[in-house]
Amino acid sequence: MLSLALRSLRHRATAFVASFLAMLLGAVMIMSFASMLDTAGGTGVSDANVETLVTMASVVGGWSLILVLFAVTSTLSLAVRQRATEMALLKSIGATPAQLRRMILGETAVLAVAAVALAVLPGMLGGRALLALLIDTEQVAPDVTHVFGPAALSMGCGITFVAAVGSAVLTARRTTGLRVTESLMDATAEPRRMSRKRLVGGIVFLLLAADLAVVTATVMHGEGSDAMQTAGQTSIWASIGFALLGPVLVRRVAGLPAAPLERFGGAAGHLTVQNVRQRAHQMAGALMPIILFTGIATGTLYMQDVDSAAIAAEGLLKNDEQKSIETLNFVVIGMVVLFAAIMLINTLVATTTYRRGEFGRQRLTGATPGQVLAMVTLESAVLTVTGVLFGAVASLFTILPFTFARTDTVLPDSGPGTFLAIVAVAAVLTMAASLATAVRALRIPAIEAAAV
Amino acid sequence: MTQRIKPQGEALRLVSVRKVYGTEDNPVTALANVSLSLSAGTFTAVMGPSGSGKSTLLQCAAGLDRPTEGRVYVDGTEMTGGSEAELTKFRRKRIGFVFQQFNLLPTLTVLQNVLLPLKLAGRRANPDAAVDILRRVGLGDRLGHRPAELSGGQQQRVAIARALVTSPKLIFGDEPTGALDTRSAREVLTLLQETVRFYGRTVVLVTHDPVAASYADSVLFLADGHLVGHLADPTAEAVAERLTRLGDEVAARRAMSGV
Repeated sequence: MLSLALRSLRHRATAFVASFLAMLLGAVMIMSFASMLDTAGGTGVSDANVETLVTMASVVGGWSLILVLFAVTSTLSLAVRQRATEMALLKSIGATPAQLRRMILGETAVLAVAAVALAVLPGMLGGRALLALLIDTEQVAPDVTHVFGPAALSMGCGITFVAAVGSAVLTARRTTGLRVTESLMDATAEPRRMSRKRLVGGIVFLLLAADLAVVTATVMHGEGSDAMQTAGQTSIWASIGFALLGPVLVRRVAGLPAAPLERFGGAAGHLTVQNVRQRAHQMAGALMPIILFTGIATGTLYMQDVDSAAIAAEGLLKNDEQKSIETLNFVVIGMVVLFAAIMLINTLVATTTYRRGEFGRQRLTGATPGQVLAMVTLESAVLTVTGVLFGAVASLFTILPFTFARTDTVLPDSGPGTFLAIVAVAAVLTMAASLATAVRALRIPAIEAAAV
Repeated sequence: MTQRIKPQGEALRLVSVRKVYGTEDNPVTALANVSLSLSAGTFTAVMGPSGSGKSTLLQCAAGLDRPTEGRVYVDGTEMTGGSEAELTKFRRKRIGFVFQQFNLLPTLTVLQNVLLPLKLAGRRANPDAAVDILRRVGLGDRLGHRPAELSGGQQQRVAIARALVTSPKLIFGDEPTGALDTRSAREVLTLLQETVRFYGRTVVLVTHDPVAASYADSVLFLADGHLVGHLADPTAEAVAERLTRLGDEVAARRAMSGV
């Protein structure tokens, strides 16, 4: 099966680009931060500096594991789903589920090894840049020298590999558990209902977020910047909760503009409404990164803003710990943005490419390329608005309790500028990825596209 | 369905249509100088061995592809090769399609699929007319179903209703019975015959099935991009015999020229 894995990797290089990119970026980031552990172990580093460096490394390390796991699972399951027919074919000629699992695992392992190997050099440079940043902001003494050693290498390789293989196992179990006829159908049919597991998972994450929000507003009230420990993660759990409920959200919320779209949206509006209703699961795949991106970025940035304002209001200067928390917050946001962008672009490119047959059939029925693009634009708009809406709600799980805990008011003083910038990024990414792919799909003659 | 419409004039005319694929160094001529004229209200089958240029002929005549040289007139109007949007607008006024793979949209119901061409053309979509057509193809009780819930034959009948709904002069069928069992194929072919007899449409059917071709008024034979023959009032046996001979001739010619 390994030889089959290698051959399919070579043959379908583009399908794996996103997974590979997620692993590579993850490994680079983990190595950069883990090298802070090696640096802390160097001679003549003061205890305070050691603490700063170790916190930095462990917090970001944990984050990377979650993000890489999420991004690789999402990209990999798309890559595998696009090959559902191929998988069904392999099964129908006698491949056992175990053999297919080994094939998917093999493919992923090869990708992970390559990603880790390529990550070493940028990881070294990233670690050096990170230390320079810490020295510049006076969080670490200037005489500390950067060390790239066993911790960076083992954590970088270990976490990336564990996350990649974990994702592959998850993906493979879902794909190969189906029977032959089922998986042949899976390539075309859409589940009519959301799975119970997904529903329960979404509710559990939302309850967890609500619980943490209450803890932040009560237990952490008056605890100063420490309230970030509970507040920071709240928007993440809420975002994941909403992301899991994606299919329901798409169908219910995106269904609201159905009547005006049907009435005034012309043929494109009509098709958009039908697609949102019938392809809720597919659209939920793209909704997930938008919610995560908006929710986590908005929550964390406003939380940091509230904290900085509160420190300034008390007439104080930030201490070392507060400074390094700020740095960490910005790094985490940077990572989330990067990974969410990869996931978003990958999901949209994959699903839009997958739809070229549908576009072809629409064109043969009499749709001009402009009408198809109008439909894609409307769908992206519906997707962006829904994602941004629930991302904003998720971010409130962090912002409101933290503002209350820190300043005794509920609403932060910060203006809407940051939020609008985040919305703009989400909208531009969604539109650009969908439209660029749709334009490329429209270049294929309609009759060829319909035959796909 | 009692009154027959007597259509007048010419539905389709091809003048010296050539289509060349491939690169400049290695051109492949799919259609070499094809001219033909079909009068309105006729049912014509186009046949030929594989690689004879049947599909290319259909695509060029239907405005799905642009000929390298030559002119195409549909219902007296020349198809001028502009952008895809212009060609689409030209097509959706005059031409209906029925494909082997039905090409229905899975997210739309039967009725929505049939209404879609009208919506796309920005015309007022009158559900009554569409329901009427669906009833005539025998699907009056399936309006709210989705294509996946129908049999192949039923899906193809939806496709025929969709092709009829804009009242096009010309309907092209590209192997419309290729994916159907014998019984459904017979129903679909009878329906196509009726669209000619009772609605006065002009149907062009590309097929390699002699039985399907025998439903047409006449058969055109194509080989290596040339029109090589014509058969009026065809029977399946006559078509099959002609086709076999044609295949042998082509094979012999190709062997001679060392292709």
